[in-house]
Amino acid sequence: MNLLIESFTILRKELTSELRSRVAVSSVGLFALTTLVAVAYQIGPYRIHEQDRPHLHAALLWIIVFFAASSGLPRVFVKEEDAHTAKSLRLAARPGAVFAGKFLFNLVLLLGLEAFLVPLFAVFMGFSVANLPALVLVLVAGALGLASSATMVAAIISRATGSATLFVVLSVPLVLPMLVFLIQGTRTAATVPELSALLPSLRAVVSLTGVTLVSSAFLFPVVWHD
Amino acid sequence: MAGVEVRFSGLSKRFGRRAVLRNVSGTARPGEVLVVTGPNGSGKSTLLNILGGLLRPSQGEVAYLADGRTVPKEEWHRHLGVCAPDLSVYEELSAVENLRFFTQVRGLRLHDRELAAVLEQLGLKGSDFFRPVKQFSSGMLQRVKLAQALVHRPEVLLLDEPSSNLDEAGHNLLKELVMAWRAQATVVVATNDPREVAWGDQVLELAH
Repeated sequence: MNLLIESFTILRKELTSELRSRVAVSSVGLFALTTLVAVAYQIGPYRIHEQDRPHLHAALLWIIVFFAASSGLPRVFVKEEDAHTAKSLRLAARPGAVFAGKFLFNLVLLLGLEAFLVPLFAVFMGFSVANLPALVLVLVAGALGLASSATMVAAIISRATGSATLFVVLSVPLVLPMLVFLIQGTRTAATVPELSALLPSLRAVVSLTGVTLVSSAFLFPVVWHD
Repeated sequence: MAGVEVRFSGLSKRFGRRAVLRNVSGTARPGEVLVVTGPNGSGKSTLLNILGGLLRPSQGEVAYLADGRTVPKEEWHRHLGVCAPDLSVYEELSAVENLRFFTQVRGLRLHDRELAAVLEQLGLKGSDFFRPVKQFSSGMLQRVKLAQALVHRPEVLLLDEPSSNLDEAGHNLLKELVMAWRAQATVVVATNDPREVAWGDQVLELAH
């Protein structure tokens, strides 16, 4: 119970800091918007053959989400090192609470990004969905998966120089399998009305997220203190 | 008196080939001030980082003892308050919000009145309590950092160059605080200032 309260204390601190500085929100939002406009300008809704649309739309959507997230998610730990607050946090909080608080903040940021991006993507790219609840499930599972791996990788790279590049490089092996299943799930939600068709992709994403979270629970204290 | 005793023995620390600390031992006892002094680069801050559990020694060990029992390292954070130049507070938050965060994250609930009392004790005015600390001068920021170290009433207080950025009045206030705190905690101060060296019941002099 205490760990939960401490985690939410860290989440609240992250949200308050972000509301006042707006650095992560601006970088993620602007990256997503710029990429979406560039893609929509070049490809738009009509330059793709109708039967190819679900495949390409699903892939483009997650590419934009992943790279936009990469511009903001590592900040949760990098900013602590840059501002010399990481040591204060190490001294005050338990590692489990730090990981959970930072993970929850990244989850909120990703869900916000998806809420902002997906409607715009639908309008600009003519992205149509056969099963909206299925798409929402994929987006929530994707946010959970990306937030878990991004939080762990962010902790690893936070004390390195060139952390932005390192974040993408280290994220690839963790995120790539997840992205494959997320793209598959999004394509299914766009084309198949039955929710059951989504289950294989959703199961894979949830499993990968579970593995990442469980291994993070063991690895994070070592990464955080060393 | 009850409290937490900090025992360290055979501490050495190497960064690559460079040895920063060599075989340092000592005991900081409740009710006493241990002053660590020595020239720049002699390892004062490194020693405090090791005593606070922020840095692993290359050799040697540190133990916190409370009522004759060893305190597990995972519980040190509940007993420990640290103020150091490379340890900051959150600039987007106000002084009160910072103190509230650092107490709540330790599982403590203090009323804003109690947090304000700590800030007042460190010479900050009420009009400064709710301003983001990024608007503070370096001296005011140092006072918030000291408040952050003291607010949860730690039994072990590690102060690294605690009077940096403080004016004469701030230095006098700090002296009063350390003397008052000595009665209820184990205090370790790393400094080169001869006035602060005089606070020590024990002085540990480090050499290059």
